[in-house]
Amino acid sequence: MWTRTINGRVLHFYLAGINNQNFLMRDKETGTWWQQITGKAIYGPLQGAALDLVLGDELTFGQWRTESPSGQVLAPVAKYSKEYDPNWEPEVAKLPVVISFPGTELKSRDVVIGLTINGAARAYPWETFAKQSPVLDRVNGTPLLLVLGSDGKSFRVFVARIDGHDAEFFLQADTPVWALLDTVTASQWNFQGCATSGSAQGKCLARIPALKDYWFDWRNYHSDTTIYKH
Amino acid sequence: MSPSRLSSSQLRSQSQTWRWRWIWIGFFLCAFAGIAWFFVPAFIIRPFRYQAPRALLVAMSLRQRAPIGTLIAALACFILAFALWKISSRWGKALLTFTLLVVTFSAVMARLNYFEWMFHPLPGPQFLAQSESKLGPREMIMSVRLGGDDRAYPISQMAYHHVLNDVVGGVPIAVTY
Repeated sequence: MWTRTINGRVLHFYLAGINNQNFLMRDKETGTWWQQITGKAIYGPLQGAALDLVLGDELTFGQWRTESPSGQVLAPVAKYSKEYDPNWEPEVAKLPVVISFPGTELKSRDVVIGLTINGAARAYPWETFAKQSPVLDRVNGTPLLLVLGSDGKSFRVFVARIDGHDAEFFLQADTPVWALLDTVTASQWNFQGCATSGSAQGKCLARIPALKDYWFDWRNYHSDTTIYKH
Repeated sequence: MSPSRLSSSQLRSQSQTWRWRWIWIGFFLCAFAGIAWFFVPAFIIRPFRYQAPRALLVAMSLRQRAPIGTLIAALACFILAFALWKISSRWGKALLTFTLLVVTFSAVMARLNYFEWMFHPLPGPQFLAQSESKLGPREMIMSVRLGGDDRAYPISQMAYHHVLNDVVGGVPIAVTY
Protein backbone atom coordinates (compact mmCIF):
# COMPACT_ATOMS: atom_id res chain seq x y z
CA MET A 1 0.00 0.00 0.00
CA TRP A 2 1.25 3.45 -0.86
CA THR A 3 0.26 7.02 -0.18
CA ARG A 4 -0.99 8.83 -3.26
CA THR A 5 0.39 12.25 -2.47
CA ILE A 6 3.58 13.51 -4.08
CA ASN A 7 4.76 17.06 -3.43
CA GLY A 8 1.35 17.96 -2.12
CA ARG A 9 -0.43 16.60 -5.19
CA VAL A 10 -2.87 13.69 -4.92
CA LEU A 11 -2.51 11.19 -7.76
CA HIS A 12 -5.04 8.66 -9.08
CA PHE A 13 -3.56 5.39 -10.29
CA TYR A 14 -4.73 2.92 -12.88
CA LEU A 15 -3.46 -0.42 -14.13
CA ALA A 16 -1.16 0.05 -17.11
CA GLY A 17 0.70 -3.18 -17.61
CA ILE A 18 2.23 -6.28 -16.11
CA ASN A 19 5.96 -6.27 -15.39
CA ASN A 20 7.55 -9.56 -14.43
CA GLN A 21 4.67 -10.74 -12.23
CA ASN A 22 4.10 -7.37 -10.65
CA PHE A 23 2.17 -4.65 -12.31
CA LEU A 24 2.80 -1.22 -13.70
CA MET A 25 0.50 1.64 -12.94
CA ARG A 26 0.18 5.14 -14.28
CA ASP A 27 -1.30 8.21 -12.73
CA LYS A 28 -4.08 10.12 -14.47
CA GLU A 29 -2.56 13.46 -13.56
CA THR A 30 0.83 13.16 -15.30
CA GLY A 31 0.86 9.82 -17.11
CA THR A 32 3.99 8.78 -15.21
CA TRP A 33 4.67 5.04 -14.98
CA TRP A 34 5.07 3.54 -11.48
CA GLN A 35 6.28 0.13 -10.39
CA GLN A 36 3.68 -1.40 -8.07
CA ILE A 37 6.09 -3.38 -5.90
CA THR A 38 8.56 -0.55 -5.22
CA GLY A 39 6.26 2.49 -5.40
CA LYS A 40 8.86 4.19 -7.59
CA ALA A 41 8.18 6.24 -10.71
CA ILE A 42 10.24 4.62 -13.45
CA TYR A 43 9.29 6.72 -16.48
CA GLY A 44 7.53 9.96 -17.25
CA PRO A 45 7.29 13.48 -15.83
CA LEU A 46 7.63 12.32 -12.21
CA GLN A 47 10.43 9.84 -12.92
CA GLY A 48 12.56 9.24 -9.84
CA ALA A 49 9.82 10.07 -7.33
CA ALA A 50 8.91 7.49 -4.72
CA LEU A 51 5.59 6.93 -2.97
CA ASP A 52 5.58 6.52 0.81
CA LEU A 53 4.81 3.05 2.09
CA VAL A 54 1.68 2.68 4.20
CA LEU A 55 2.05 0.05 6.90
CA GLY A 56 -0.54 -2.64 6.48
CA ASP A 57 -1.03 -6.27 7.40
CA GLU A 58 -1.91 -9.50 5.70
CA LEU A 59 -4.27 -11.19 8.14
CA THR A 60 -7.10 -13.63 8.08
CA PHE A 61 -10.52 -12.00 8.21
CA GLY A 62 -11.11 -13.72 11.54
CA GLN A 63 -7.93 -12.31 13.09
CA TRP A 64 -8.65 -8.83 11.80
CA ARG A 65 -12.20 -8.95 13.14
CA THR A 66 -11.01 -9.63 16.68
CA GLU A 67 -8.53 -6.75 16.50
CA SER A 68 -10.72 -4.22 14.72
CA PRO A 69 -14.33 -4.96 15.63
CA SER A 70 -15.63 -1.74 14.11
CA GLY A 71 -13.60 -1.93 10.94
CA GLN A 72 -15.11 -1.93 7.44
CA VAL A 73 -14.60 -4.41 4.64
CA LEU A 74 -14.35 -3.63 0.94
CA ALA A 75 -17.64 -4.67 -0.65
CA PRO A 76 -17.47 -7.12 -3.54
CA VAL A 77 -18.90 -5.82 -6.83
CA ALA A 78 -21.65 -8.18 -7.94
CA LYS A 79 -20.84 -8.20 -11.66
CA TYR A 80 -17.23 -9.28 -10.98
CA SER A 81 -18.08 -11.94 -8.42
CA LYS A 82 -17.06 -14.68 -10.87
CA GLU A 83 -13.54 -13.19 -10.95
CA TYR A 84 -13.10 -13.17 -7.19
CA ASP A 85 -11.57 -16.49 -6.33
CA PRO A 86 -11.12 -17.27 -2.65
CA ASN A 87 -8.85 -20.12 -3.73
CA TRP A 88 -6.60 -17.82 -5.73
CA GLU A 89 -3.42 -19.06 -4.07
CA PRO A 90 -3.29 -22.55 -5.61
CA GLU A 91 -4.40 -21.04 -8.95
CA VAL A 92 -1.57 -18.49 -8.97
CA ALA A 93 0.91 -21.16 -7.92
CA LYS A 94 0.22 -22.95 -11.22
CA LEU A 95 1.07 -19.94 -13.40
CA PRO A 96 4.33 -19.91 -15.37
CA VAL A 97 7.29 -18.28 -13.70
CA VAL A 98 8.93 -15.62 -15.88
CA ILE A 99 12.40 -15.82 -14.35
CA SER A 100 14.20 -18.19 -12.10
CA PHE A 101 17.33 -18.09 -10.03
CA PRO A 102 19.04 -21.46 -10.15
CA GLY A 103 21.79 -21.90 -7.62
CA THR A 104 19.75 -20.62 -4.71
CA GLU A 105 18.38 -23.17 -2.30
CA LEU A 106 14.82 -21.91 -2.64
CA LYS A 107 12.53 -22.85 -5.51
CA SER A 108 10.86 -20.15 -7.56
CA ARG A 109 7.36 -20.61 -6.14
CA ASP A 110 8.48 -21.04 -2.54
CA VAL A 111 6.70 -18.49 -0.40
CA VAL A 112 8.84 -16.16 1.67
CA ILE A 113 8.37 -13.21 3.97
CA GLY A 114 10.52 -10.43 2.58
CA LEU A 115 11.66 -7.32 4.41
CA THR A 116 14.31 -4.65 4.16
CA ILE A 117 16.07 -2.80 6.97
CA ASN A 118 17.93 0.28 5.77
CA GLY A 119 18.47 -1.28 2.38
CA ALA A 120 19.49 -4.75 3.60
CA ALA A 121 16.97 -7.32 2.34
CA ARG A 122 16.20 -10.71 3.83
CA ALA A 123 13.79 -13.46 2.89
CA TYR A 124 12.30 -15.84 5.45
CA PRO A 125 11.03 -19.09 3.91
CA TRP A 126 7.42 -19.43 5.02
CA GLU A 127 7.69 -23.11 5.94
CA THR A 128 10.67 -22.46 8.19
CA PHE A 129 9.07 -19.41 9.72
CA ALA A 130 5.78 -21.18 10.41
CA LYS A 131 7.56 -24.05 12.16
CA GLN A 132 9.82 -21.83 14.26
CA SER A 133 7.55 -18.89 15.07
CA PRO A 134 8.32 -16.69 16.96
CA VAL A 135 11.50 -16.10 14.97
CA LEU A 136 14.20 -13.85 16.38
CA ASP A 137 16.70 -12.43 13.96
CA ARG A 138 19.00 -9.50 13.39
CA VAL A 139 19.23 -7.61 10.12
CA ASN A 140 21.59 -4.70 9.64
CA GLY A 141 21.98 -4.40 13.40
CA THR A 142 18.24 -4.29 14.09
CA PRO A 143 16.79 -7.06 16.28
CA LEU A 144 13.62 -8.47 14.72
CA LEU A 145 10.70 -10.52 15.92
CA LEU A 146 8.62 -12.35 13.31
CA VAL A 147 5.39 -13.83 14.59
CA LEU A 148 2.78 -16.17 13.13
CA GLY A 149 -0.74 -15.65 14.42
CA SER A 150 -2.72 -18.32 16.22
CA ASP A 151 -4.62 -18.89 12.96
CA GLY A 152 -1.43 -20.11 11.29
CA LYS A 153 -1.82 -17.60 8.44
CA SER A 154 -1.58 -14.04 9.78
CA PHE A 155 1.91 -12.69 10.37
CA ARG A 156 3.64 -9.58 11.66
CA VAL A 157 7.19 -8.33 12.05
CA PHE A 158 8.34 -6.13 14.93
CA VAL A 159 11.53 -4.51 16.14
CA ALA A 160 12.50 -6.59 19.19
CA ARG A 161 13.33 -3.64 21.42
CA ILE A 162 11.62 -2.42 24.60
CA ASP A 163 12.60 1.11 25.62
CA GLY A 164 15.74 0.88 23.55
CA HIS A 165 16.80 -2.49 24.98
CA ASP A 166 17.03 -5.56 22.79
CA ALA A 167 14.64 -8.24 23.99
CA GLU A 168 13.87 -11.84 23.22
CA PHE A 169 10.37 -13.22 22.99
CA PHE A 170 8.88 -16.65 23.55
CA LEU A 171 5.48 -18.14 23.06
CA GLN A 172 3.74 -18.51 26.38
CA ALA A 173 2.72 -22.13 26.90
CA ASP A 174 -0.46 -23.35 28.55
CA THR A 175 -2.51 -20.21 28.29
CA PRO A 176 -6.04 -19.92 26.92
CA VAL A 177 -5.17 -16.64 25.20
CA TRP A 178 -2.27 -16.53 22.74
CA ALA A 179 0.56 -14.44 24.19
CA LEU A 180 4.31 -13.85 23.98
CA LEU A 181 6.60 -13.28 26.94
CA ASP A 182 9.69 -11.12 26.78
CA THR A 183 12.97 -11.81 28.58
CA VAL A 184 13.56 -8.23 29.74
CA THR A 185 10.36 -7.29 31.58
CA ALA A 186 8.51 -10.64 31.61
CA SER A 187 5.45 -8.87 30.25
CA GLN A 188 2.77 -10.51 28.14
CA TRP A 189 2.46 -9.31 24.55
CA ASN A 190 -0.39 -9.81 22.10
CA PHE A 191 -0.28 -10.36 18.35
CA GLN A 192 -0.49 -6.61 17.77
CA GLY A 193 2.85 -6.25 19.54
CA CYS A 194 1.43 -4.50 22.58
CA ALA A 195 2.04 -5.51 26.18
CA THR A 196 -1.18 -6.50 27.93
CA SER A 197 0.30 -7.10 31.38
CA GLY A 198 3.55 -6.68 33.28
CA SER A 199 5.79 -3.68 33.70
CA ALA A 200 5.72 -2.92 29.97
CA GLN A 201 1.95 -2.86 29.88
CA GLY A 202 0.57 -0.34 27.42
CA LYS A 203 3.77 -0.20 25.35
CA CYS A 204 3.83 -1.42 21.78
CA LEU A 205 6.72 -2.70 19.69
CA ALA A 206 7.62 -0.85 16.52
CA ARG A 207 6.31 -2.54 13.38
CA ILE A 208 8.32 -3.42 10.27
CA PRO A 209 6.62 -3.63 6.87
CA ALA A 210 7.03 -7.09 5.37
CA LEU A 211 5.79 -8.69 2.20
CA LYS A 212 4.59 -12.25 1.68
CA ASP A 213 5.83 -13.06 -1.81
CA TYR A 214 7.15 -15.80 -4.08
CA TRP A 215 10.89 -16.30 -3.85
CA PHE A 216 11.53 -15.56 -7.56
CA ASP A 217 9.68 -12.26 -7.33
CA TRP A 218 11.38 -11.16 -4.11
CA ARG A 219 14.78 -12.13 -5.51
CA ASN A 220 14.07 -10.31 -8.78
CA TYR A 221 13.60 -6.99 -7.00
CA HIS A 222 16.16 -7.55 -4.25
CA SER A 223 19.20 -9.04 -5.92
CA ASP A 224 21.32 -8.73 -2.74
CA THR A 225 18.80 -10.42 -0.49
CA THR A 226 20.00 -12.85 2.13
CA ILE A 227 17.97 -15.88 3.14
CA TYR A 228 17.14 -16.62 6.76
CA LYS A 229 18.65 -19.85 8.01
CA HIS A 230 18.45 -21.35 11.45
CA MET B 1 25.72 3.75 -83.14
CA SER B 2 23.54 6.02 -81.09
CA PRO B 3 21.84 4.70 -77.91
CA SER B 4 18.12 4.13 -78.18
CA ARG B 5 16.12 7.00 -76.83
CA LEU B 6 12.81 6.94 -75.10
CA SER B 7 10.09 9.13 -76.48
CA SER B 8 9.01 12.07 -74.36
CA SER B 9 5.69 10.36 -73.49
CA GLN B 10 7.56 7.23 -72.38
CA LEU B 11 9.85 9.39 -70.20
CA ARG B 12 6.82 11.08 -68.65
CA SER B 13 5.09 7.79 -67.77
CA GLN B 14 8.38 6.40 -66.35
CA SER B 15 8.75 9.37 -63.98
CA GLN B 16 5.08 9.02 -63.05
CA THR B 17 5.66 5.34 -62.17
CA TRP B 18 8.56 6.41 -59.96
CA ARG B 19 6.40 8.99 -58.25
CA TRP B 20 3.73 6.41 -57.51
CA ARG B 21 6.35 4.01 -56.21
CA TRP B 22 7.57 6.65 -53.76
CA ILE B 23 4.02 7.27 -52.62
CA TRP B 24 3.55 3.53 -52.07
CA ILE B 25 6.79 3.43 -50.09
CA GLY B 26 5.68 6.44 -48.08
CA PHE B 27 2.34 4.77 -47.44
CA PHE B 28 3.96 1.60 -46.10
CA LEU B 29 6.43 3.53 -43.97
CA CYS B 30 3.58 5.47 -42.34
CA ALA B 31 1.60 2.27 -41.91
CA PHE B 32 4.59 0.52 -40.35
CA ALA B 33 5.12 3.41 -37.93
CA GLY B 34 1.45 3.55 -36.97
CA ILE B 35 1.18 -0.19 -36.46
CA ALA B 36 4.50 -0.68 -34.65
CA TRP B 37 3.76 2.22 -32.32
CA PHE B 38 0.94 0.25 -30.76
CA PHE B 39 2.01 -3.37 -31.26
CA VAL B 40 5.63 -3.13 -30.08
CA PRO B 41 4.81 -1.93 -26.53
CA ALA B 42 1.85 -4.32 -26.41
CA PHE B 43 4.16 -7.18 -27.30
CA ILE B 44 6.84 -6.18 -24.78
CA ILE B 45 4.49 -5.56 -21.86
CA ARG B 46 2.57 -8.78 -21.79
CA PRO B 47 1.99 -11.06 -18.80
CA PHE B 48 4.24 -14.06 -18.21
CA ARG B 49 7.02 -12.61 -20.25
CA TYR B 50 10.22 -11.35 -18.68
CA GLN B 51 10.84 -7.70 -19.50
CA ALA B 52 14.43 -6.53 -19.41
CA PRO B 53 14.81 -2.95 -18.17
CA ARG B 54 15.83 -1.59 -21.58
CA ALA B 55 12.96 -3.26 -23.40
CA LEU B 56 10.57 -1.90 -20.81
CA LEU B 57 11.97 1.59 -21.33
CA VAL B 58 11.39 1.32 -25.08
CA ALA B 59 7.84 0.09 -24.47
CA MET B 60 6.98 2.90 -22.06
CA SER B 61 8.44 5.65 -24.23
CA LEU B 62 6.53 4.38 -27.27
CA ARG B 63 3.30 3.95 -25.34
CA GLN B 64 3.63 7.45 -23.87
CA ARG B 65 3.42 9.05 -27.31
CA ALA B 66 1.33 6.39 -28.99
CA PRO B 67 -2.01 8.22 -28.99
CA ILE B 68 -0.67 11.17 -30.99
CA GLY B 69 1.88 9.18 -32.97
CA THR B 70 -0.54 6.57 -34.24
CA LEU B 71 -3.07 9.28 -35.08
CA ILE B 72 -0.60 11.26 -37.20
CA ALA B 73 0.59 8.09 -38.93
CA ALA B 74 -3.00 7.03 -39.61
CA LEU B 75 -3.91 10.42 -41.08
CA ALA B 76 -0.84 10.33 -43.31
CA CYS B 77 -1.80 6.82 -44.43
CA PHE B 78 -5.32 7.90 -45.33
CA ILE B 79 -4.05 10.86 -47.35
CA LEU B 80 -1.55 8.72 -49.25
CA ALA B 81 -4.11 5.96 -49.75
CA PHE B 82 -6.51 8.48 -51.19
CA ALA B 83 -3.84 9.50 -53.69
CA LEU B 84 -3.04 5.88 -54.58
CA TRP B 85 -6.62 4.66 -54.81
CA LYS B 86 -7.44 5.68 -58.36
CA ILE B 87 -4.31 4.24 -59.92
CA SER B 88 -4.48 0.98 -58.05
CA SER B 89 -5.71 -2.34 -59.33
CA ARG B 90 -8.27 -4.39 -57.43
CA TRP B 91 -5.43 -6.07 -55.53
CA GLY B 92 -3.87 -2.71 -54.81
CA LYS B 93 -7.16 -1.41 -53.44
CA ALA B 94 -7.55 -4.54 -51.28
CA LEU B 95 -4.04 -4.07 -49.89
CA LEU B 96 -4.72 -0.40 -49.18
CA THR B 97 -7.99 -1.22 -47.42
CA PHE B 98 -6.48 -3.97 -45.30
CA THR B 99 -3.53 -1.83 -44.29
CA LEU B 100 -5.78 1.11 -43.41
CA LEU B 101 -7.90 -1.17 -41.23
CA VAL B 102 -4.86 -2.34 -39.27
CA VAL B 103 -3.53 1.22 -38.94
CA THR B 104 -6.94 2.40 -37.69
CA PHE B 105 -7.12 -0.48 -35.24
CA SER B 106 -3.70 0.51 -33.95
CA ALA B 107 -4.67 4.17 -33.55
CA VAL B 108 -7.85 3.23 -31.66
CA MET B 109 -6.13 0.70 -29.40
CA ALA B 110 -3.40 3.21 -28.55
CA ARG B 111 -6.09 5.26 -26.83
CA LEU B 112 -7.66 2.39 -24.91
CA ASN B 113 -6.43 0.59 -21.83
CA TYR B 114 -7.05 -3.07 -22.56
CA PHE B 115 -5.52 -4.07 -19.23
CA GLU B 116 -8.65 -2.66 -17.69
CA TRP B 117 -10.73 -4.95 -19.88
CA MET B 118 -8.91 -7.90 -18.31
CA PHE B 119 -8.97 -6.46 -14.80
CA HIS B 120 -11.81 -4.04 -14.33
CA PRO B 121 -11.08 -1.18 -11.96
CA LEU B 122 -13.27 -0.60 -8.95
CA PRO B 123 -15.50 2.34 -9.80
CA GLY B 124 -15.71 3.80 -6.33
CA PRO B 125 -15.05 1.60 -3.32
CA GLN B 126 -18.01 0.68 -1.19
CA PHE B 127 -17.60 -0.75 2.28
CA LEU B 128 -19.53 -3.14 4.44
CA ALA B 129 -19.77 -3.57 8.15
CA GLN B 130 -18.25 -6.85 9.33
CA SER B 131 -21.67 -8.30 10.05
CA GLU B 132 -22.67 -7.76 6.41
CA SER B 133 -19.58 -9.39 4.94
CA LYS B 134 -19.77 -12.96 3.68
CA LEU B 135 -16.03 -13.60 4.01
CA GLY B 136 -14.93 -16.76 5.74
CA PRO B 137 -12.76 -16.32 8.85
CA ARG B 138 -9.72 -17.86 7.16
CA GLU B 139 -9.88 -15.75 4.01
CA MET B 140 -6.90 -13.41 3.69
CA ILE B 141 -7.32 -9.66 3.77
CA MET B 142 -4.99 -6.69 3.63
CA SER B 143 -5.70 -4.35 6.50
CA VAL B 144 -4.82 -0.76 7.19
CA ARG B 145 -5.43 1.53 10.14
CA LEU B 146 -5.10 5.26 9.55
CA GLY B 147 -6.49 8.21 11.43
CA GLY B 148 -9.06 6.16 13.30
CA ASP B 149 -10.29 4.30 10.20
CA ASP B 150 -9.90 0.51 10.08
CA ARG B 151 -10.28 -1.01 6.62
CA ALA B 152 -9.88 -4.51 5.21
CA TYR B 153 -9.42 -5.36 1.53
CA PRO B 154 -9.99 -9.05 0.71
CA ILE B 155 -7.09 -10.41 -1.29
CA SER B 156 -9.45 -12.46 -3.47
CA GLN B 157 -10.89 -9.16 -4.72
CA MET B 158 -7.65 -7.18 -4.89
CA ALA B 159 -5.96 -9.98 -6.82
CA TYR B 160 -8.46 -9.21 -9.57
CA HIS B 161 -8.76 -5.42 -9.45
CA HIS B 162 -5.03 -5.01 -8.66
CA VAL B 163 -5.18 -1.34 -7.75
CA LEU B 164 -7.67 0.70 -5.75
CA ASN B 165 -7.57 4.42 -4.95
CA ASP B 166 -9.01 4.99 -1.50
CA VAL B 167 -9.00 7.59 1.25
CA VAL B 168 -8.53 6.18 4.73
CA GLY B 169 -8.65 8.45 7.78
CA GLY B 170 -8.26 11.41 5.44
CA VAL B 171 -5.12 9.96 3.81
CA PRO B 172 -5.30 9.15 0.09
CA ILE B 173 -3.76 5.68 -0.43
CA ALA B 174 -3.36 3.20 -3.23
CA VAL B 175 -4.12 -0.40 -2.25
CA THR B 176 -2.26 -2.76 -4.56
CA TYR B 177 -1.97 -6.47 -5.00
